[in-house]
Amino acid sequence: MSGSFLHRERTIAPLGYSRWLIPPAALCVHLCIGQVYAFSVFNLPMTKLIGITQSAPDDWKLTELGWIFSLAILFLGASAAVFGRWVEEGGPRRAMFTAALCFASGFLVSALGVYLHQLWIIYLGYGVIGGTGLGIGYISPVSTLIRWFPDRPGMATGMAIMGFGGGAFIAAPLSVWLMSRFSSPTHVGVAETFIAMGLIYLCFMMVGSAIVRVPPPGWAPANYTAAAQPRPLVTTQNVFVYDALKTPQFWLIWWILCLNVTAGIGVLGQASAMSQEMFRGQITAVAASGLVGLFSLFNMMGRFFWSSTSDYIGRKNTYFAFFALGTVLYALVPYAGAIRSVALFVLCYAVIFSMYGGGFASVPAYLRDMFGTRYVGAIHGLLLTAWSMAGIFGPVLVNYIREYNVTHGVAPAQAYNVTMYVMAGLLIIGFICNLFVRSVHERFHMRAVEAEAEVEAAPVFGSE
Amino acid sequence: MESARQSPGTSNGINLALAWGLVSIPLVWGIVETLVNAIKAFQ
Repeated sequence: MSGSFLHRERTIAPLGYSRWLIPPAALCVHLCIGQVYAFSVFNLPMTKLIGITQSAPDDWKLTELGWIFSLAILFLGASAAVFGRWVEEGGPRRAMFTAALCFASGFLVSALGVYLHQLWIIYLGYGVIGGTGLGIGYISPVSTLIRWFPDRPGMATGMAIMGFGGGAFIAAPLSVWLMSRFSSPTHVGVAETFIAMGLIYLCFMMVGSAIVRVPPPGWAPANYTAAAQPRPLVTTQNVFVYDALKTPQFWLIWWILCLNVTAGIGVLGQASAMSQEMFRGQITAVAASGLVGLFSLFNMMGRFFWSSTSDYIGRKNTYFAFFALGTVLYALVPYAGAIRSVALFVLCYAVIFSMYGGGFASVPAYLRDMFGTRYVGAIHGLLLTAWSMAGIFGPVLVNYIREYNVTHGVAPAQAYNVTMYVMAGLLIIGFICNLFVRSVHERFHMRAVEAEAEVEAAPVFGSE
Repeated sequence: MESARQSPGTSNGINLALAWGLVSIPLVWGIVETLVNAIKAFQ
């Protein structure tokens, strides 16, 4: 019974099914798994599980707890790459269902780890099992959205990936509120919060899994006609997932994503400390935390804005805008510090973070343009290894360059200047990679026999 | 092949309102919470 419910055939949309139900289905998953960005709210309480009001000698250290997030992101990239083809061929419902089970189980296993005070159980729970759910959940709606919105693929995938950016806005206050409800003078309440969040997210993701549908073969939206002539850099063919790895286009886009994320993620983690050190006396610690919230909002909104814009100006031009504008803005940050202009600093960072999010959100549509719709979800999964790499490169670059400068006598206010110029340099390399992106050679295209399962010919019926 | 155009029916409209409400209400709540905290931070 459950097998048939999850089967791809059972998810084919009936006549008249509104395609506008698919973005909320995707958001049900992405808003939940986006919680990972807010996991840090548990770090401090988890350093006081024994001491309650302050850390006891046997309590976990922040450095040990930091590995939970790192493991989750590592397994996000790994599972997206490994399970991409399985997700693509089994359909979105099975993938969302599996992601829900993994992600919720991750919380429940972690609750056990907190209860027994065994950190390795939390690494296994949230890091490995939850991280696997993150990866499967992240890619599960991508190709479905692209098939439902052939006229606006950027906007459609942007909506879902915006949800991943927005998940932290829900998770952070929800976690704090739940911990306040479950805590007592002798108890921190983390384990109960993990159980509650696991169950809430399970229900929410199951709703997404239940309402998601794939379009019937040959479906096209009302009033949509596929372009008679192929548009430049937008293929009408499909490339098999593992053949995509043999193309220079895949690796160019891999580096484009990696460099864009490296620059963004490097300063994202340091935004609070950087703003306080660059504007000592002007930006307090409390104000800096408010700024980080504001930047996260731009990160989320940029996902929708830039991916929607890419439907009109093209994917390649969108990334040109990220790299050209980003280079100028990163180079302007030291100037903002030198003239003590908080407004200019905030403006630069707001746009930088919008483009950081936009880079994530526009890339599925870029892959669809290059490799077609058939295996775009699986190819996207493989590409997410660039994110895992950037997650290491970015913070390491920022932290080590700052450390080097400070130990060589540079004032803290100027310690980030070189970092900003290095980031601008990375974006110039990204610009050059983007410049080399051309259409995929036809020898990589799937033959008609191979692709016949995927019928994308004349429209059959349409609905909005 | 002839296109059969269908406009969303009433049930589709209700489903759409429910589905979008389910995802947008918590998101808007979270954003408002964040903005309120951000404003507090600057006061």
